[in-house]
Amino acid sequence: MKKLIQFKNIVKEFDGQLVLRGINLDIYENEFVTLLGPSGCGKTTLLRILGGFLTADEGQVLFDNEDITQLPPYKREINTVFQKYALFPHMNVYDNVAFGLKIKKEPKDVIEQKVKRMLKLVGLEEYGKRQVTEMSGGQQQRVAIARALVNEPMVLLLDEPLGALDLKLRKEMQHELKKIQQEVGITFIFVTHDQEEALTMSDKIVVLKDGEIQQIGSPTDIYNEPANEFVARFIGESNIIDGIMVQDKEVVFEDKHFACLDVGFAPNEKVDVVIRPEDLDIVPREQGKLKGVVKSVLFKGVHYETIVETRSGTSITVTMHVSEAKPVVNTEAKEYMSANDFYLDLEDIAELNDAEIIARADAQAWDSETEDWISIHKVEYQIEPKTGTYPVTFSTKAGTMVSANMFVREANRIASKEYEEEIFAVNFFKKVDEIQESMALDTDLKTWANASAWSLEDDSAVEITDVVYDFDVENLTPGDYQVTFKTEGYEYMIDTTDKHEVGEEVGLMFMPEDIHIMSKKGSY
Amino acid sequence: MKQFRNMAYPYIVWSVIMIVLPMLMILMYAFTQKGNDVLTFRFTIENFLKFFSDPIFLDVLRRSLWVALLTTVLCLLLGYPIAYIISQTSGRKKILLVMLITIPMWINMLVRTYAWVGILQDKGLINTLLGYIGIGPLPLIYTDFAVVLGMVYNFIPFMILQIYTSLSKMDKSYLEAASDLGANKVESFIKITLPLSLPGVISGITLVFLPAVSSFFIPKMLGGGQYVLIGNVIESQFLTSGNWNFGSAISLIMAIIIMISMYITKKVDKTGQKEGGR
Amino acid sequence: MKQSKKILSKLYMALVLAFFYLPILYTVVFSFNSGRSLTRFDGFSLRWYEKMFNDSSMMSAIFYTIAIAVLATIISTIVGTIAAIGLSNSKKVVRGIMEQVNNLPIMNPEIVTAIGLLMFFSMLGIRKGFTTMLLAHVMFCIPYVMLSVMPKLRSLDPNLADAALDLGATPWQALVKVIVPQIMPGIISGALIAFTMSFDDFIISYFVTGNGVNNISILVYTMSKRVNPSINALSTLIILMITIILVVVNVVPIIKEQREKKKKRAQLQEEA
Repeated sequence: MKKLIQFKNIVKEFDGQLVLRGINLDIYENEFVTLLGPSGCGKTTLLRILGGFLTADEGQVLFDNEDITQLPPYKREINTVFQKYALFPHMNVYDNVAFGLKIKKEPKDVIEQKVKRMLKLVGLEEYGKRQVTEMSGGQQQRVAIARALVNEPMVLLLDEPLGALDLKLRKEMQHELKKIQQEVGITFIFVTHDQEEALTMSDKIVVLKDGEIQQIGSPTDIYNEPANEFVARFIGESNIIDGIMVQDKEVVFEDKHFACLDVGFAPNEKVDVVIRPEDLDIVPREQGKLKGVVKSVLFKGVHYETIVETRSGTSITVTMHVSEAKPVVNTEAKEYMSANDFYLDLEDIAELNDAEIIARADAQAWDSETEDWISIHKVEYQIEPKTGTYPVTFSTKAGTMVSANMFVREANRIASKEYEEEIFAVNFFKKVDEIQESMALDTDLKTWANASAWSLEDDSAVEITDVVYDFDVENLTPGDYQVTFKTEGYEYMIDTTDKHEVGEEVGLMFMPEDIHIMSKKGSY
Repeated sequence: MKQFRNMAYPYIVWSVIMIVLPMLMILMYAFTQKGNDVLTFRFTIENFLKFFSDPIFLDVLRRSLWVALLTTVLCLLLGYPIAYIISQTSGRKKILLVMLITIPMWINMLVRTYAWVGILQDKGLINTLLGYIGIGPLPLIYTDFAVVLGMVYNFIPFMILQIYTSLSKMDKSYLEAASDLGANKVESFIKITLPLSLPGVISGITLVFLPAVSSFFIPKMLGGGQYVLIGNVIESQFLTSGNWNFGSAISLIMAIIIMISMYITKKVDKTGQKEGGR
Repeated sequence: MKQSKKILSKLYMALVLAFFYLPILYTVVFSFNSGRSLTRFDGFSLRWYEKMFNDSSMMSAIFYTIAIAVLATIISTIVGTIAAIGLSNSKKVVRGIMEQVNNLPIMNPEIVTAIGLLMFFSMLGIRKGFTTMLLAHVMFCIPYVMLSVMPKLRSLDPNLADAALDLGATPWQALVKVIVPQIMPGIISGALIAFTMSFDDFIISYFVTGNGVNNISILVYTMSKRVNPSINALSTLIILMITIILVVVNVVPIIKEQREKKKKRAQLQEEA
């Protein structure tokens, strides 16, 4: 096959931001090439440079071995199907398709023949007289393709052409586009952020990220041997685990040694281990290479997406003191009032104010008849920056009063070095009815216990995914209860045909060839 | 489309010559003295001192501001209900009403103002009608009343259309949400409609105040030769007494006053919106 | 309660509309008065129209008004459209500055613009008259044309011009065959605004004209000092002209739309 297009070290900058950082890429005749990447990766910019709508700051574009870097778009043998099609709204379908031929001043009968043939190719032969604004998205799409192809370009550029269509239509158009490409036999360059679209249609996929090419290859290459974690994550869902390559063909993850096929890494190099969900099997616990518990099962139409947790996350357990305390009643003013004791960290004292105290104590006052809330007029307390117990009194304008205790303690936290995460929570006081009236108990428990977790690596927040308690909310009695907060542990996604029960203890099985090792460095 | 970019250049040149340069000339003239060649620019603030030290001019300025303010307030009070009523109608009726408000704006202002001369005269339409019920004749023409009436008549459509536009842009679901949350009609008007129409009110105020404070043919036609507002002073400086320097200084003063009042209105608008948002 | 509110708002609406239209009606009625009075209607006659058509100053004012309005509209529409297309493709900074500059004549009191132009023309030594008035009108009309064209350009699919170039059109062809037809409604409404702004202008014309070149507004202003019923005739003529323009502008699109709807219905029936 012949090289048709060559990008040579293309650099493009917008407002001081590098959008393309030296792209080198060859495209051959009759290829269906897809530029794939998330938004902002530079794929559309590259396409527009090829179309002639943008000029590269550096580098060359060769077309059929001729430099076309400075050639204006109307002199290029390339046509484009634009995002949202850019059909001319003041013309009908026929005139839209005939536009390029009329510009070239081709004879009328030739134009008519060519347009008719093209409309037939895209299945719109009956629609020539229609206004384009009256057509559906899918039909507009076909007009745009016909309008570009009628000029017999050597290359057709397609800029996310299926983005505006609904799922069903998109699938149809994918097949149709592929069919048209094979029929007209020219190069198609297709831009998309949809990996599935790229995998089904392309001969060659170019994965881009931040203006750099991550990997070039056939769909199977890219799917089975992703060059790095980014490609692996972007192309379909994957299990990606931190590991260490002990030596050739031997990798360690989750503290266990496994055989694999990969070679060429430095001894003890840190790597990403990729295992596709369809390559994992659920087996009886004792037969598994890894052991875990089924956490969730989702039916996905043809298979079940099963999540197995092999190791739980960081957790912390706090005590919830539940009391039967009733609200204070002021019969004269017809007011009720209540407040809880609460724990405070030493370091929190500096930032303490009335609003914070009211929130922490959950202090409330309300009208005994209408249940309308009444604002708390005064908060009286004295506190010193050392551990101890300090009383606080809340009162309303009408003179209703309620007291609570602030227990100042050292910080109540644990850290798990292994997971490089820290989780924090405090013991707290609650009343029976407050717990029973909660509309979202897990969230409220997190709030009451002030629970939070973060990564020790970069201080970013880590979500608390589990709140575990064993009391019966309906029949709660006063007393002390344990509440545990947990972050997410190591989880594997497995595609299975059998249904497993949540909570089932299982084993995970995979073959050496199912393990794909990627360098952490990110290049390919 | 960079190819089309150079299409802007001729106009950029034109607008520098025809828009910016004349403005700069006003500035230059305002800070120079008569008889002094503008090219040998000799800076002076004499013109401004002359204006601010003469009680006659200060009186004119005060009256101009008062008339403009009164006009603006009247336009707002009379115009808001109209805008609101139109925004409450629908379909053809709405289009018709908007058209009825718009059509007079297309007709020459002088022609419409001249009509009032006939209507307001001592033997004019109003006094004749009043005569039938035994009142009058009242002095109408050549009074403050006539001038303010003329201004309100000429400028109120701007106010109505601005407020109407912002009212009709308003999402009806806000009102539904408000009534869903228990607000009655008056409350939701005060809490939702009024704050959301504020941008329209502000641009309406600007569009009325600005021509009102600088107007000179309405006071002349309806206020008579003795009725002098700041616009008339500028006119006479340029077209009769020929003191361009002083005239430029006065128009600069007027422009600055307008700028300040717009700035204040915008400020009020912003704080008002903040409170509305709370 | 609700009913009374409705009646009240209808009554108020009627009062305001009466306030708007009374003077216009008054002018029209008294232009046909046979007497000189502006208050007593003595009987129907066309005498003031006759007088108007024989008055050379009135006739020349009408001529100048129309001539300047037509020329200013044509020039400002073309220049304004070209400038708007250029600016919409310019860098943000340039566009921002030009929008500010364009706002000057719109936001400034007209009298300020007028004296600026007056001094500017005299500095250049241009004889006050037709030329100065035309230049001034073009100057204040262009920003309104641009204001009306710009939003149309902004709502254009940014790929439209690219699509034309992609299909082999030169930039000029892309402009004429694709961009201009798309923004035509904005251009037309811009032209309409320009025409009426120019047709009705008083303040700026009053300051920059001279040597006997007057437009209708200036004439009304100078003649209004004395009772002169032929002004009513002139006014009625203007009201008539503007009304005709407004009717044409507002009704023609409706008729067009209905015709198109009919056509479409016929088409659909054919297809069925």
